[in-house]
Formats: sequence, structure tokens, C-alpha cells
Amino acid sequence: MTNKKIPVTQPADQSSCSCSDAQANPACEMPDDNVSESRRGFMKDVGGLSVASLMGTAALLTNSDEAQANTEWAEWFQGNYRLMTDEEKARAVARLERRYSSEYGKKVTVDTTPAQDGVLFGYALNIQKCIGCRRCVKACVQENNQSRGEREIEWIRVLKMEKGDFSVGKMKDGYPGDFGIQVGGNAYSASGVVLEGEHYYEPEKVPDADAFYMPIACMQCEKPPCVKVCPVRTTYREPDGPVVVDYNWCIGCRMCIGACPYWARRFNWGKPNLPKEEMNPNTHYLGNRPRMKGVVEKCTFCIQRTRKGRYPACVEVCPVGARKFGNLLDPNSEVRQILAKKRVFRLKAEMNTYPKFFYFID
Amino acid sequence: MSTQHCFRTSGLSGERITMKISQGIAVVLALLVAAPAVWAAEAAKEVVCFESREGGASDVLQREIAPGLLNVRCSPTTGGVLWWGDPYDGTVPMGEMPIEADYSHAEAVVKPRSAKLTLLPICGVACHNGTYPPPPKNKDPRKLTMHMDLVPDSMNLQHGRGAIWCLDCHSAKTRNKFIGHNNELYDFDQPQKLCGKCHGQIYRDWREGIHGKRIGEWATTGKKRWFVCTECHNPHDIQQGKRNSGFVQLKPEPAPRLPKGVYNADHERHHLQKGAAHGEAKPASGGH
Repeated sequence: MTNKKIPVTQPADQSSCSCSDAQANPACEMPDDNVSESRRGFMKDVGGLSVASLMGTAALLTNSDEAQANTEWAEWFQGNYRLMTDEEKARAVARLERRYSSEYGKKVTVDTTPAQDGVLFGYALNIQKCIGCRRCVKACVQENNQSRGEREIEWIRVLKMEKGDFSVGKMKDGYPGDFGIQVGGNAYSASGVVLEGEHYYEPEKVPDADAFYMPIACMQCEKPPCVKVCPVRTTYREPDGPVVVDYNWCIGCRMCIGACPYWARRFNWGKPNLPKEEMNPNTHYLGNRPRMKGVVEKCTFCIQRTRKGRYPACVEVCPVGARKFGNLLDPNSEVRQILAKKRVFRLKAEMNTYPKFFYFID
Repeated sequence: MSTQHCFRTSGLSGERITMKISQGIAVVLALLVAAPAVWAAEAAKEVVCFESREGGASDVLQREIAPGLLNVRCSPTTGGVLWWGDPYDGTVPMGEMPIEADYSHAEAVVKPRSAKLTLLPICGVACHNGTYPPPPKNKDPRKLTMHMDLVPDSMNLQHGRGAIWCLDCHSAKTRNKFIGHNNELYDFDQPQKLCGKCHGQIYRDWREGIHGKRIGEWATTGKKRWFVCTECHNPHDIQQGKRNSGFVQLKPEPAPRLPKGVYNADHERHHLQKGAAHGEAKPASGGH
């Protein structure tokens, strides 16, 4: 579902040729006979604006009130990202870069690199290796410009789980007591009990010998329930796998949060608290650019990094190398090797969401 | 709090000293001995954090590699590296690859570990140049004559469950090299060649990218920095007690913020406490 496949009805070609190519290309001049003066003027303005937006990169750090106001005005009238023409995207990006650069006091780039052909991102996590140190969580926050402090948002959650027990001796122990979750068996006799996952564990040292740890973030489903419910179609699945959000088009209804079976989406209840010095200036339009109040955000497999070839931040930071990432369409990639050689499961596979996130054990 | 974790002021290792020398700050060495207080003040300016394993083996000094770009960003609470500005900073080509795998298409680099081991060049020429103590007759743990400070865990070697000892990996004659079963020598930068002799399955997984850590580009043909065995594992105490995971325990990053209106995580601890009782008192399991 790239912009390529959507029929483009916007007058991008007209506006680009009407002013500059008029003399060189007579075909461009023809419709001008039929338009009124005001329409001609409008076209000129559009042309002028595109030139200005190209020059905008040079004048990034100039911050006038008028420019700020213009930016916000234009953002309100911006289209859905998937329906934007390349020219509209360039203009939107220039606007955003100007706004972010002045807001955060450094040169911020907003990338729009599209998906590569023949690439489908896949992720594998060795649940046996994870030690629950939460470094992936914090690395993700730094990389993806999440809100800090009072309005903290973290895309990854690490659950501390009790080690399961499926011993035959417990088969006749009956129904669990006042706590825990029944494992196996049936309604009358459980074969075991596990406790609920712990979010807020804070021991001196990890890993705990009696626990294993399960990091959960967006599973980048092939059939994402969150996409199905979005009333404005601002969240969608990119051709290379990640489910992304066009923050500008999001109305903040939070339907997707309710639909997600993995608790992978977060909502900005207030203006995100992102300190200037900690802001990561390498951003992607669909990824880690600073969010506004009232929009939903989620893991994008670090789209700003992976589209440029780098591993996601959480993969790089994992001190035990439990996280693996690669191209599912490349039979030699790390993820494919894991799928071929290790025992793999997907979280809540019975929901038919077809996650692109795999858990494995040695 | 951050100084406590990020900058180790006690237990000064040889690796730390190398870093200092490499910077050409011999004065600091003098300060180290003379005035610990001054050292602490000095250290406050430079941030040392660890990449994978704590305790010197994977320490990295934070510095600016380009205007406004740090080589690493570190966690203020645990001192672990959270982000690499340049994943290939300070690396060298891995060199000869395992012959079983075809890596002609990919670029693999490693961070040379020998650069951090101060005494490595000296071992080869000064003290152990041809003259070495007579070879011991058995593999019982014993106090080293010279280097108890260098190998503090020598009396408590937790590797191989008593079947192996120092000179099964370290060459007795060429002290700055590892030695294999057939008396072949291995570099300290390429420990996987030695480790893989016994841990074949893990070595194969590592070679294929299933085991271990790599940073850089995700593409199979991309440039990657491979982490070698000793960057994550301490071969001297690899058996980590009960858990036996081969990885030293770490201080975790802080827990997520509690939701609004929730003031503690007792609802979880309640389960944990019951869980502990549940685990210890076997007859009570099942809740009846």
C-alpha cells in the first residue's frame, strides 16, 4: 500500500509545470487559456510555495512568528500521508523540519525513505536469554523521542514471569486458588498454576534464578486489528512490515489501543515532555518525529534506522544478544536462520494476527 | 548515584590504566596514587560505561566523534551503553573467518580486546620470555606466585566443572596467547576460535548470527560489528550459580512509571510473595 499504488489525482504535475516549464513545454501552457486570472494566480502561488519549501532547508533556523503560524496553519490542512503526492510530502517535511529545528534548537531531519522492494522485516527474541535488564526499553525511549518524566511513555514492556510448572504430580491439584492463572488441564483440574506477569519488578540484580522475562512491544502483525478499527485510516501497514501512524491525521480516538491484543500502543494524554538536549534529531515522518498531544504512537521497528540499513536500537543495545532482526525474505538472514533452526512461537498466534515478531528458545 | 555506577573509583583495573596511557595523561596516574579525591573529581568529567558485561571487559569511554555526536550514550542509572553513535568506532576487521561459512560478501569487524589488556604486550617479552615457572603437576586451584591481583578469580575458577584449568586455555610459554588442544596459538582478539573447540553448537549459532550480539547493519551483506565471546562472558566464572546462564547479573534499569492513581506495585508484590511461598512450600501449591 504505497503511495505508488494509490491513483494520484492531485494536480502535482500541473502545478510544477505551469510556472517554470511554460515556455519550454507548450503543453503546459494550453490549459492556461481556459483558467481565470485568480486560478492562474493560485497556481503561481503554489509554484512559489514549492520553491520556498525547497529553500526552507537552508533557512531552517530562522524562526519568525509568521513562519510558525504559517506552518501550523498548513499542518491543519495537510492530507493523509498515504494520499500525499511527493511534492506535498516534501512541503510537509520542510515545514516539520523548520518547526522541529526551531523548537529543539538543533538541525532536525525528517526522513520519508520508502520501503525497499524485497524486504520484509522480521524480529526474533530469545526468551531464554533475556535477563530483564530493561536496557531495550530505555534505548527505545532515547532513540524514538518518547515522552519522559511525568508523562512517561515506553513502547517496550518487560514482563517478569514465574517459571511454568507442568509436572505430572500437579495434575490432580485442582483449580487454582485465589491468585494465579491456570495452566493446562481443564476447568476442573489444572495441570499447573503460574502467576501473572510482573511489570514493576525492581530487584538489585537481574536475572532472578526463578524467573524468565518476556519483553513485549508491537508485533507488527500482518493482519493488524488496530488497522482494521482505525476510523480515519491513519494507521496502516507499510510494505516492508511495520505498522505505522501518521500522527498528523490521527484524531486520538484510541480505538486502535482497544483493538490491539498485545498492548503495544500508547497515547499522548498531554504534550510530550521531550528535553531538547535528549531529542534525537534523526527522525522519520512515520516514526520517531516528535509527537503532539492527543495522538497514538507505537513501535515502528525504528523505521528511521532500519530504512537506512541500521539495526533497531533495541537490537543493538541488548547486552545478551537476545534480540535479532533481519529480512524475512532473505533466506540467509539471521531471522530466517532462527526460524529454520530454533523452536519458535508467536504471541497469541490463535488471534490470527500473523505477527512478524517471533519468540524463540535454544 | 550516577557516579557510583558509571565511574568505578575503586578496584582499579589494568584496563583503566591503559586507557589513561593511551590518552597520554601520565599525570593522572600520579594523581590516582596520590589523591583519590582529585581522581574522583577528574572522573566526573569523563563517562565510562560498559557495553555488554560489567567489570572492565567491555568498558568504553564516552567522547565526541563528530560535533554534537557522541560515540555512545549511557544510562544514567546503571552505566550501560544505551545507544551507539558509531557502531564501528574503534574496531578492526575480524580477519580470517571460519572456513565453514561464506563471509566473503559481508564485512565483519571486532573491537580488539588486546588493546585493553595492559600487560599483554609485556607478558610476551618481559616476564615470560622463555623463562617461566616449572609446570605444575596437577590442576588443583592454587595461589599464583605473581598475579593474584590480575586474576582475582583464579582460586574460584567456575568453568568446566573442575575438569579444566588455566593452562588448558592460556599458553604456558607464550603468555599473551591462548593455546588449543594441538598446541596451536590463538590471539586474545579471536577467542571464539578457542571457545568454539568445546562449545561447537554455540559457535555455529554465533557464526550464523543466532547466538551473540552484532551491531551495525541488518542486511546479510551489511557491515557488522561482531561481539566475541569474552565481550559478554567472563570465562573464569561462566557458571553463574543457580541460574547458570553464563551471564553476570546486572542492575536493571528503573521500572516503568506507575499509572496515575496507583502509588505502589503491591498488587504485583502480593503475587510475588505468594509465589515465593508457593515455590518453597510444595504441598501448598494449587491453593488448597
